[in-house]
Amino acid sequence: MTADVNQFPALDKTKFEQRGIEFRLGIPVTTAVSVGNSIAVGFGDGSVRIFTSGQSSDAIKAHKGIVLCMSKDGNHILTGGDDGRFLKISLDGVVTEIGNFGTRWVDNVTANNGSLVCSSGKIVYLWSPNNKEPKLFEHNSTVGGIAFDTKGKRLAVSRYDGVTLWKKDYTKKWVSSNLIWKGSHNKVSFSPDGKYLVTSMQENAIRCWRLKDKIDFAMSGYDRKIKSFAFVGETSYLATSGALGMGVAAAICWPFDGEGPMGRQPTCLSYTGNNEVTFVEPFPSENAIFAGLSDGSVFLSEIENKNNTIIIRSFTGSEVSAIAVTDDSSSILIGDMNGNILWTSIWDK
Amino acid sequence: MENKHQVPVTVLTGFLGAGKTTLLNRILTEQHGQKYAVIVNEFGEQGIDNDLVVDADEEVFEMNNGCICCTVRGDLIRILSGLMKRADKLDAIIVETTGLADPAPVAQTFFVDQDVANKTKLDAIVTVADAVHLSSQIEDHHEAEEQIAFGDVILLNKIDLVKDEDIDVVTKRIRKINPFAKIIKTTKCGAPLKEILNLDAFSLKRILEVEPDFLDSDHDHEHDDDITSLSFESNTPLNMEKFQDWFGKLLQTKGQDILRTKGILDFKDQNDRYVFQGVHMLMDASPMGKWPEGKERSSRLVFIGRNLESMNLREGFENCKSA
Repeated sequence: MTADVNQFPALDKTKFEQRGIEFRLGIPVTTAVSVGNSIAVGFGDGSVRIFTSGQSSDAIKAHKGIVLCMSKDGNHILTGGDDGRFLKISLDGVVTEIGNFGTRWVDNVTANNGSLVCSSGKIVYLWSPNNKEPKLFEHNSTVGGIAFDTKGKRLAVSRYDGVTLWKKDYTKKWVSSNLIWKGSHNKVSFSPDGKYLVTSMQENAIRCWRLKDKIDFAMSGYDRKIKSFAFVGETSYLATSGALGMGVAAAICWPFDGEGPMGRQPTCLSYTGNNEVTFVEPFPSENAIFAGLSDGSVFLSEIENKNNTIIIRSFTGSEVSAIAVTDDSSSILIGDMNGNILWTSIWDK
Repeated sequence: MENKHQVPVTVLTGFLGAGKTTLLNRILTEQHGQKYAVIVNEFGEQGIDNDLVVDADEEVFEMNNGCICCTVRGDLIRILSGLMKRADKLDAIIVETTGLADPAPVAQTFFVDQDVANKTKLDAIVTVADAVHLSSQIEDHHEAEEQIAFGDVILLNKIDLVKDEDIDVVTKRIRKINPFAKIIKTTKCGAPLKEILNLDAFSLKRILEVEPDFLDSDHDHEHDDDITSLSFESNTPLNMEKFQDWFGKLLQTKGQDILRTKGILDFKDQNDRYVFQGVHMLMDASPMGKWPEGKERSSRLVFIGRNLESMNLREGFENCKSA
């Protein structure tokens, strides 16, 4: 992989930092999700805070230890923790327990058409709106990630040695099929058009299946494990973390238009310095991504015009662990492992 | 590696009924004031008294890195990475394995996953062995033998139930498998905790300090698949290129049978001592400063594994001597 290097002045506060609000909470930020024009942030002490217009709510005591994962269901957030609890939390801080798995962690949460879904150990649990008891989806090994396609018809569950694909048959019974590739599969996602399925693997690579014929292939060449990836933009690129070059940190973006990424070169959105991209977040409605680095800095880059790169946040010394953009694309929240948070407006006033 | 804060991880292994949980509960009650996380599996024998117990399945998978014996514990990667996000920092982590677990995947996890290796370190593998039943367990279950082979500390437990001469027999058996381990004889796992915790047994520095304890063992009763150890020493400096070539090929082709390796090497025209240690095909090696003044330079190399006699190790090592 090669990349053009964008040079930035170091250590000066960016205009985004100057006009934004910074919080130094000293608690690791583990995850962040936008809900309307608020952003919910999960922390390594089990608490959740809701940020609205640059104001932080009081800490909502959600989990005992760590907020491991977060998603949203309408105007509520869903969280899973190392206390084995699956929670639904309103923006004004009312906590409802959906499930409790004791000493087993809740590793993934999501919602789909009114159903609430989580994974704990080898099982995915799905609560339909009218059922008290969850439907169980069992697997042979611990679940790495869960994802629904954009229509909410298919559920992909990554695990060891591949992905289990669940969908309802004509009798509305859930049936499964398997996509096989040896190794440990972590996060999973459908492409927005539903034609591809991708997983991040333990071995510094993305595995991809073309679902119509189950042809599978790797996107590799990464220096580190890919902790973060996301589909972005109208032409649909897959933006990924995990690259670290000679003096260059790069977010690698694979094209998923036309015939897909097979045999094509990725676009490298790069930033100078010996750091790793640790987090990528799409800029909604733009063909652009925010890339967070292991030193805390964040840059914004347009995929098809990579010279148009702006630095949003400068060095903090701590790995970027969460980025979220409000639903109206007006503001961004960036969090790192030392608990430094920046809330700032994206556009010039 | 040395200057960043890494949470020490102690692995407790041992056959069913040997006393792992007794030891675990002793550590947790006697080390009060320390913040521990304990990773157990759901088939644990007794209750564990700790705030922070994580249930895991021992999920071993093979890495796709062209290395056939490179198996790692996926559940440990997930849980250790998660624990490192905690706001309150842990003093230590203890992993209790099931009675039939092979310790190699646990050790290899710390070589393979960068996040795990950055933030935690394998402190030591502590094997609890039942003095009454160990000999027969070794005969019947290769896992029991592997647990002895991987132990940095072996608690030979329940010695109150065994005659003195039988203790000698079982101690010799342990030594034949593992010349490095510190053997502590106990009843009810009553060993001083400072001999079990914070040992830093996997650091290269420690290899310089531990003198392997070799017994002249007779080879009469050996089965082909018994685990044994072999060691070699030389006062003639080694040729670095030849050594790397031989040793690399050896691990690549025989890494499945070679469980552990450790060594201190004296290379010709090099001022530094080279220290390494390995688990199957994975290796950690580094120059570790100059040779101490007034002490004779020599190379020392130890293998623990199966079928070692068939690997022509002595011949291979002799060929590495510089002309």
